[in-house]
Amino acid sequence: MYEIKLPDLGEDAGDEAIVSFWHFDEGDEINEGDDLVEMTTDKATFNVPSPRSGVLSEIVADEGETVKVGEVLALLEQE
Amino acid sequence: MLQAKGKFPPWIKKRLPASPVADLTRRILEQYDLNTVCRSAHCPNIGECFARGTATFMIMGNVCTRSCRFCAVKTGKPSPPEDSEPERISLAAKEMGLRHVVVTSVTRDDLEDGGAAHFAAVIRALRKHNPQASVEVLVPDFKGSEDSVRIVVDAQPDVFNHNVETVLSLYTTVRPEAGYRTSLGVLALAKKLRTDMLTKSGLMLGLGERHEEVEAVLYDLRRADCDIVTIGQYLRPSPEHLPVVEFVEPAEFERYLGLCKQMGFRAVASGPFVRSSYNAIEVKDEAQRP
Repeated sequence: MYEIKLPDLGEDAGDEAIVSFWHFDEGDEINEGDDLVEMTTDKATFNVPSPRSGVLSEIVADEGETVKVGEVLALLEQE
Repeated sequence: MLQAKGKFPPWIKKRLPASPVADLTRRILEQYDLNTVCRSAHCPNIGECFARGTATFMIMGNVCTRSCRFCAVKTGKPSPPEDSEPERISLAAKEMGLRHVVVTSVTRDDLEDGGAAHFAAVIRALRKHNPQASVEVLVPDFKGSEDSVRIVVDAQPDVFNHNVETVLSLYTTVRPEAGYRTSLGVLALAKKLRTDMLTKSGLMLGLGERHEEVEAVLYDLRRADCDIVTIGQYLRPSPEHLPVVEFVEPAEFERYLGLCKQMGFRAVASGPFVRSSYNAIEVKDEAQRP
């Protein structure tokens, strides 16, 4: 199982973002580079691409939740 | 505190590329213990630029003597500039393989020359280790000091950048410790001192300015013989900073782009995510095209 984590947003402090919505549902097949989830920070909306291919087995951070950099967003089952 | 979802219009959207190059960029910056305005100003383009192996160095620390209401850089009493910084930047630029190096700073009203000599030292160090690279400096207003502007210009940067940031009527709320005429004067003087050097300035939209006021700034910049202009959307770095009054539509940025070209700027970058040094090398190349 591969843990997809929130990448570095580049900010000095308060590295966090809110999950706006997921582009996929649990059980969907994902290709590396697909836009996985849309996040919002103080400055902008960001699309986070999937770093790997696989099946989205669990969404850990639900829509509306605040996630810190390095925290797990979802679990990916790799073929 | 973060605000609720749906607060940005659809064009204020970026991608967060998880690129190994971005990690390398971060590692080099860390190794040479360097600050970037990218991090300190919470730039939304940071993922994209770091993934392309570029960054804008911020010299003389990450504490600023001014407290502009749009800027995320901390205000306070900064430490003296470090003598080793020019060399460290130069070596980092070499390791990053930069063809165009952009250097900015915090404002150092505590220093006699506003940090001009340190800028000059950085330019000279960059020339030593990166002879092929062009150098762009984005300087503070040096309180309008002719001597300070001269020290920087004499070090012969390829591009001399100083941002007016906003329209005249908003200076008291946005840049209370700066002066619109002072900033224009810095640009005009730099050009007068060395006419073959490119000068550049930029402004943020969305702080409540009117069209006519933006156009007045553009005319004033042309009158100061400014070659390059950048126009971007102001984005609030935290709830403690000035709120965004308006998200200017992409079509409006296009309109300003057309206007600037008509007015004779040699290069223009205008768009929601345009920042002063965003795609700086392409913008400089455009300005140098005959």
